[in-house]
Amino acid sequence: MKKTWKNMYKKYIYLLFVSLLICGCEDFLEVDEPFGQINSSEVFQDDATATAAVTSLYGKLRDEVLLTGTSNGLGALMGIYSDEMDFYGFAGEPMDSFYQHQVFTDDLMVESIWNQSYGLIYMGNAALEGLQSSKTLSLENKAQLRGEVLFIRALTYFYLVNLFGDIPYPTTTNYEENRILSRMPVTEVYEKIIIDLNEAKTLLGTNYISEERTRANKWVVSALLSRVYLYTEQWNLAVLEATSLISNTSLFNLEANVANEFLKESSSAILQFKPKSAGDNTLEASLYLFESGPPPSVSLTPQLYETMEPMDNRKENWIGVVTDGDQTWYYPNKYKLDANTGTSQEYSVVFRLSEQYLIRAEGHARLGNLAEALADLNTIRNRAGLTDSEATGQSDILEAIITERNHELFSEFGHRWFDLKRYGLANEILSPIKPGWKPTDVLLPIPENELMMNPNLNPQNPGY
Amino acid sequence: MKNYYRRSHAYALTFALFLSYNSPLLSQNLPLKTISGTITDANGTLSGVNVLVKNTTRGSISDLEGQYSVKAATNDTLVFTYLGYKPIEVPVGSNSTLNVAMQPDATALDQVVINAGYYTTTDKKRTGSIGRVTAAEIDKQPINNPLEALQGRVTGVDVIQNSGVPGGGFKVRIRGQNSLMAGNEPLYIIDGVPYDTQSLASGNSSGGIIPFADVNPLNAINPASIESIEILKDSDATAIYGSRGANGVVLITTKKGKAGKTVFTVSSSTGIGQITHKRNLLNTEQYLEMRREAFTNDGITEYPEWEYDVNGTWDIKRYTDWQEVLIGGTANTRKIAAQASGGSVNTQFLIGGQYQEETTVFPGKYAYDRLTVNTKLNHQDKEERFKILFTAAYSLENNNLPSRDFTSEALNLPPNAPALYDQEGELNWENSTWSNPLAQAVSTYKQDTKSLISNTVLSYTFFDDFELKVNAGYGFSELRGIATTPHTVFDPAYGRDSKSSRLTSSEGNRTYWVTEPQIYWERNVGENKWSILLGSTFQEHTSGKGTIIGVGFPTNHFINNMSAATTTTILEDGETTYKYHSIFGRINFAYHNKLFLNATGRRDGSSKFGPKNKYGNFGAIGAAWIFTEGMDIPFVSFGKFRGSYGLSGNDQIGDYQYLQTYALADYPYDGNIGLLPTRLYNPNFKWEKIVKREAAVELGFLDNKISISAAYYNNRSSNQLVDYALPGTTGFPNIQANLDAEVENSGFEFELNGTISRSDSFTWNSSVNFSIPKNKLLAFPGLENSTYANRYVIGEPLTIAKLYMLKGVNPETGLFEFTDFNGDGAITSDMDKQYVADLSPKFFGGFTNTLTYKEWTLDFLFQFVKKKGYNQYRYSEPPGMMLNQPVSVLDRWQQPGDIAEMQRFTTGENYEAYLAYSQFTQSSGVISDASFIRLRSLQIAYSLNFGKKKSNTCQIFLQGLNLLTFTNFEGGDPEQAIGFIPPLKRITFGTKLYF
Repeated sequence: MKKTWKNMYKKYIYLLFVSLLICGCEDFLEVDEPFGQINSSEVFQDDATATAAVTSLYGKLRDEVLLTGTSNGLGALMGIYSDEMDFYGFAGEPMDSFYQHQVFTDDLMVESIWNQSYGLIYMGNAALEGLQSSKTLSLENKAQLRGEVLFIRALTYFYLVNLFGDIPYPTTTNYEENRILSRMPVTEVYEKIIIDLNEAKTLLGTNYISEERTRANKWVVSALLSRVYLYTEQWNLAVLEATSLISNTSLFNLEANVANEFLKESSSAILQFKPKSAGDNTLEASLYLFESGPPPSVSLTPQLYETMEPMDNRKENWIGVVTDGDQTWYYPNKYKLDANTGTSQEYSVVFRLSEQYLIRAEGHARLGNLAEALADLNTIRNRAGLTDSEATGQSDILEAIITERNHELFSEFGHRWFDLKRYGLANEILSPIKPGWKPTDVLLPIPENELMMNPNLNPQNPGY
Repeated sequence: MKNYYRRSHAYALTFALFLSYNSPLLSQNLPLKTISGTITDANGTLSGVNVLVKNTTRGSISDLEGQYSVKAATNDTLVFTYLGYKPIEVPVGSNSTLNVAMQPDATALDQVVINAGYYTTTDKKRTGSIGRVTAAEIDKQPINNPLEALQGRVTGVDVIQNSGVPGGGFKVRIRGQNSLMAGNEPLYIIDGVPYDTQSLASGNSSGGIIPFADVNPLNAINPASIESIEILKDSDATAIYGSRGANGVVLITTKKGKAGKTVFTVSSSTGIGQITHKRNLLNTEQYLEMRREAFTNDGITEYPEWEYDVNGTWDIKRYTDWQEVLIGGTANTRKIAAQASGGSVNTQFLIGGQYQEETTVFPGKYAYDRLTVNTKLNHQDKEERFKILFTAAYSLENNNLPSRDFTSEALNLPPNAPALYDQEGELNWENSTWSNPLAQAVSTYKQDTKSLISNTVLSYTFFDDFELKVNAGYGFSELRGIATTPHTVFDPAYGRDSKSSRLTSSEGNRTYWVTEPQIYWERNVGENKWSILLGSTFQEHTSGKGTIIGVGFPTNHFINNMSAATTTTILEDGETTYKYHSIFGRINFAYHNKLFLNATGRRDGSSKFGPKNKYGNFGAIGAAWIFTEGMDIPFVSFGKFRGSYGLSGNDQIGDYQYLQTYALADYPYDGNIGLLPTRLYNPNFKWEKIVKREAAVELGFLDNKISISAAYYNNRSSNQLVDYALPGTTGFPNIQANLDAEVENSGFEFELNGTISRSDSFTWNSSVNFSIPKNKLLAFPGLENSTYANRYVIGEPLTIAKLYMLKGVNPETGLFEFTDFNGDGAITSDMDKQYVADLSPKFFGGFTNTLTYKEWTLDFLFQFVKKKGYNQYRYSEPPGMMLNQPVSVLDRWQQPGDIAEMQRFTTGENYEAYLAYSQFTQSSGVISDASFIRLRSLQIAYSLNFGKKKSNTCQIFLQGLNLLTFTNFEGGDPEQAIGFIPPLKRITFGTKLYF
């Protein structure tokens, strides 16, 4: 019996040994982050990664969202949506619905604009939260980065509110909140944009952070702010902001020769996108340029070319002409290099001084300061080789300004469309030339999927 | 009272355990003596027979001469067992020599040892649902991948081969689709090592030729090296695999050597493969008639200059059967294999190698070849306490394919399209009027794969009834795929040069190891038997993927060299680690060889889940009652009820989904890297759960000459892991989360096996298996307000399609018309897609026969499936465009008043007709009955015994696969109709020599 007990005792030792082998090792399941990923909390502890998380927002805008020079960008999309460009792609291609004004609630392009823009806003909000909780970043860098994010978020909301009207306005990364948001009225969205931009102005310095004009500083914020004031009809403020830029001649001067306007060294440039890889030029050039007709994707409308005065040297410098003997096509030729040139020569311009002159001209005109308005308008006209405008009286001058904006800013992120809408001219000008036009087309529809998943976004915009 | 009752049970159980634990110690009183003897069967001495002293673990194995010797007491009983023979029990008594003659037993349920993963059982004693395919069945089929062997042979297992191109993938579903969005793949275990069957290929390089870039890693396993494949289906069998058992488990066991003389096997075979059938397409005359009518219908009187087929640019008399030219070739297969096995009583070995080559049915020199080597060694010491088993298999695969499958060209090219070659034998571009399909042939996809699977099992028995066991497995797979697209795929008229040549190079690799310490205890207590298993798993998988695209080469000679590319873009580059740790156990109790209880469980931890949810518990209980034991029922020789209930899980989602991270992204800016948030943060998702229930009856009649089994199962999976779609305002389209949706898979499975004749010269065995699966979405909260509203319907299977309902062709307009469900006067995408087509199989099964007459054997398997599928119109353009069409389009509308199946032809210029047709392709009109009966496999073999004692055998065989198909389906192959080349039919002739 004793032996048996001893035997059993031994057995328990064995069992204990085995159970040790079997159990334990909770730590075993810990895995490192996968290659190429960083824990979010660590991103904003380090200057380099925090900066990268913010500059990637510019990268997104350049390559994919709203301001990209590809066919997903507003330059082409709102160009064909207005009287600025014609579309030559296949019927049924995503862009065709914009050209034909046959945009339905399930339009893939609309859904893409919406999702991409809100994706960008999420990234901005994530960066704001990361910066907020960071304890190791320098105060300077924190201020710079926060200012840039506020600017980019305001820029994104500016386009969204102009495209869709009342929009949801997420300010956090919390998906439980963001999935049930209601739409915020346009005026309130603008108020928020202005608050963000004013804060950005206080955070950002007056110099560009890098050698080139590729990241936002105080002046870049002013450029957007003057446009926002113009769009919200706060003429005085628009004039003030524009003036602050125009009078900063140590940084900004109109290029005397329009041919130099879109080169990377252009002194007119306020904000430019740095291309992705060394030697790359702009995405716009790849989209717009063509050598033989019919155009592969889009072209300028002949009417745009024809309304430009014969002496206008922007015709020669900014518009390309292709003909096959029978037919003639025009393409935006502001950017002329569609291949890698070893060293980049052209950068896509997001804000430039000409627009500020035209903003100030319009601000003055609306305020009744007609002489000042004409002076600014003529600055732009004279540079283009044109004589002074013959417009007299407020409405004539305003009409001259919208025409000048068309001739100066064509193919740049949909200025023409937003001007037509702002001036209340969309219906008058587009209904004769666009068979699919409906007055309710001034707003795009909220994507159908979005309404389905978040009924709080109802009602749909009128007409859809 | 209730509590007390429960507690008393617990006491009883503890007491029983205690008793059984001690009893042998009390009974070892009588002195031991040595018993020896010779074991024979009808053919002479029998080696390798197990001799066991009953109720002990003492025993021995008969040697090459059939001799054995064992120590036993006079009151002991010796038990002689050998696979395929009836067991014999002989009391020792006063004898010191016991000679035994064994009787073969073809139907011995208790003799067939079934691998249940961590333990083994027998057909008689098993409590769970386990299907099985053995070497005998696998060897009869000319197959490349072990999964092909399962088709039509196992109830509840639905295997579909993606493509007839060698080296592709399979879709395997065991008892249906459980998960909405996470993986539905079974768990594969090869010789005890979990084997990840996710493809390592990248769609960037292989997407055009291998459907879904699914290169099944099981391609690395030579089917002929397999001893058995067990398929674990119900919870009793799968719960011990815990979180990975939800979709069933496939256990692959490779062959091992047997004690006895060294046996050499050499086999070689050669064969051909072809597409199963060609579609019936329009000839030139019919085609041109269609085209001209389309122009007339559309009001176009002058053929435009680009309509080369009708405007006279191309020869209108020319006819080419493009199916014949592009996919009508003959694939040649060659296989050669050699194997040696044998060993002594204590040490056995097997070593084998196989080489095979298979060309394709495409024009051009493409081929897949594979070299595999496999080895298995087992050894035990004299006392049989220490055992070691080592298994390793290494394979090299080389796949050289065109970068695109020619099937769609074969079906779509106009029959009067130009000749492939001009008079000089150069590719003909017919003045740039067409895209020569053979130009694509210079664009190739080459894939090299290397894989190793190895496992070592060490075990030690102590105190007679404990066994300590550790298995340690290690393996890796490496895949390299290179797709080259030289500029010569383009018409030279475009003036391209090697600056536009392109190279896509992708790599995938996986390294994994597993260690499983286990302890096993087994004890007979009188007529009862207890066995307990306890074990633990540590497992780690590391996998990496990378893809680089290079464009622009100085000359095409360097097209395989990435460093020669002008620009390179990295598309994918990443490495992930998956770790897994768990504890598992099993308690099995057998009462009087009559009642069996089996409890299994597992506690699993996985690195795929967040800190709070890493661990989960799974378990099941199974029971079997052999009611014929000790009871005489006329005709019924065997009867068993069994049932099981339990919980398994599913973790088939990506790694790291719970982490909140930023990832490198391709948006570098101003000297900074691109860095963006990876996903919305949700650390709280958990395992998908599946509750499985099963009840079954198994009956044997007339000495088990006829056996029947019927099973009903009901599996419900909940806690569904989904990429839950969110509104865009959240910043991401979806989030990894658990959705409270519930999916039910239920069904009946029947098997009937019969020995129709068993005489010395003629035997005939026949079996039928039959599965009736049913899949149903029981719940999906918020389905209407989700993006899945158009994909799922509550109460319907997951495999439905919501389509327009075709009303037919309007006799007046000649256009297709559809039911306007919402009555808004227009056919609009989601509102009017209310026709629900169920594409899952209604029933499927197989009918197998094996006939042996003297030296001849004949085997065949008919596979049958009842289902609906997409027909030839699903991915088609309107008849009348510059694409060939099936002959069935000729029944078309031509003028007002016509009643026709097909709407008016159109060149696509008639927008209404085009729109109606594109709606037709998403309507009930593209659903057809795709049921089929197929002669899945056939073998005729002749065996000849020769040599001394006729111990050498030569077998000559003729094997066929997919030889005949009976179906009404018109859309290509009814088994697989996804636009890639369907599985081939094969005929193989070969010989096998055993000596």
